[in-house]
Amino acid sequence: MRRARHAGRTFAWQMLICICFLAIWQWGYALHDRLPWLVPDLLDPYFISRPSDIFEHFLILSCLKSKLGVFNGWFNGEFARCMARSENNLWIATAVTLKNTFFGFVTGVSSGFAAGLVLGRSDKLSAIFQPFITAVNSIPRIALAPIIVLAFGIGDTSKVVTSWIVVVFLVFFNTFEGARSIDEGFINAARLLGASEWQITRTVVIPSTMAWVFASLTPAISFALIGVIVGEFIGAERGIGRLIIESEARAEASGMMVAVVVLMLVGVALSALIWRLQAYLLRWQQHNLAE
Amino acid sequence: MSVQALHAPEVDAPPDARRIDVRGLCKTFQLAGTAIEAVRDVSFNVRRGEFVALLGPSGSGKSTVLNMIATLLKPTSGQILIDGVPVIHGRATPNVGYVFQRDTLFPWRTVADNIGYGLELAGVPVAERKDRVNACLKQAGLEGFGNAYPSALSGGMRQRAALMRTLVVEPQVLLMDEPFGALDTHTKIDMHDVLLRIWEREQQTVLFVTHDLGEALTLADRIILFSARPGRIKESFEVDFARPRNAVKIRETPRYAELFQLIWHSLGEEFIKGRKP
Repeated sequence: MRRARHAGRTFAWQMLICICFLAIWQWGYALHDRLPWLVPDLLDPYFISRPSDIFEHFLILSCLKSKLGVFNGWFNGEFARCMARSENNLWIATAVTLKNTFFGFVTGVSSGFAAGLVLGRSDKLSAIFQPFITAVNSIPRIALAPIIVLAFGIGDTSKVVTSWIVVVFLVFFNTFEGARSIDEGFINAARLLGASEWQITRTVVIPSTMAWVFASLTPAISFALIGVIVGEFIGAERGIGRLIIESEARAEASGMMVAVVVLMLVGVALSALIWRLQAYLLRWQQHNLAE
Repeated sequence: MSVQALHAPEVDAPPDARRIDVRGLCKTFQLAGTAIEAVRDVSFNVRRGEFVALLGPSGSGKSTVLNMIATLLKPTSGQILIDGVPVIHGRATPNVGYVFQRDTLFPWRTVADNIGYGLELAGVPVAERKDRVNACLKQAGLEGFGNAYPSALSGGMRQRAALMRTLVVEPQVLLMDEPFGALDTHTKIDMHDVLLRIWEREQQTVLFVTHDLGEALTLADRIILFSARPGRIKESFEVDFARPRNAVKIRETPRYAELFQLIWHSLGEEFIKGRKP
């Protein structure tokens, strides 16, 4: 009861903050001439647009409205024509960026996880690879993006590779640490119950490394998205990053902001998916709280 | 019976009655460049179905001996035979079960899945596995906790579950490394009764490491007393209480007090020797 009231109050505060934020964004600059000492120049809609313009631009970019400001309607064919006309409309751009993020994430997580497990469980291999890993890890991976685009072209492959390269190390290091810090007691227990090396890996090493891996997945999904967007900045025909570059070329702040808002929503949705998966796979950890 | 007669005669069991046979076992650890001799020339054997306790102060090498028998540690020299076959370091010996000092239940598996783990490894079909796990849960008084995770259980319950995880595969030899060391006195005595009931029925060969004399007297047929480091066998005592034993009642008998006093004296000497100057 008390907790419910508390949650309600929290929500009310959150709403209030949102409304204030949006209101200042929308109308704050109107006060600039009268109160120049209070309202910074940066609030100029030329730079940061304003919520109503962003929404308007969202409708246009997503073919829900024509450029003249008329609602397209779903059934008169205008929507379909607009979709066909603009190669990089918001739907396609989002789908392309999401797809590349997904592949970058999946390949990065799986290869980082596998490498982390192998090196984490083998003192010999980790000793051999240690200096190389440290060296490569010291490179800001994003700096490789232009080279990757040069090598793999402006198609989707270069985005997946950029995304992969920023994700793989993150997951690798977490898995590696996790595999190093496994309680030897668990491994001995499994071995004495007759487990083979592969059974030990499957039933002890992987489950006990999971908590470490999951700790890296939420940042990994943001990193995957960053990798794709940077790749699209450098050279792409489609994608949200491309949308941002196009809007920037036309000095259209509202267009960039649409892209940013969409990226935010995509990021939140993907993180929520990870949290759900984590809550399921690591459900044994929840019970620690009940003790 | 005179006190002297309690000392077990140092005669070996006939070879075909020996389940565990340890000969000239030595172990030296290298710690930061210093050699530490943990076990020196330990030889003993355990008959089929016998319950033997290895008793000694901490640092007397009794756990080291057990872990060498369990293949967790490699002996510096000496030989270990189980049913006449030498054990191989790092490879589990069939039919040998091990219970750890602290429970090593997998926190990511439910209690039932923990107990069924050994059966799962052996590829026992799900239905049979379920039956055997349920029987074990019942035996350990853990009915209704099968779907709980280990973190939700008390220390005693966890150790019972850990014991069942070892017993479910029905090992003929049971190696136990101070399994009840972390439990409070009453939980410990409960566990003694649980273990006694199981042992009386299954008659496994048990090698039980402990520093608790009362525990050794309650459970064992024979107590092998270890000296302070380097660990050697100092003495061996037959514990002649009738079976079945009751872990609570046995402590009230005069015989218990008599044996306790006798062995305590010898153990106390080692305890004092083991103290750092």
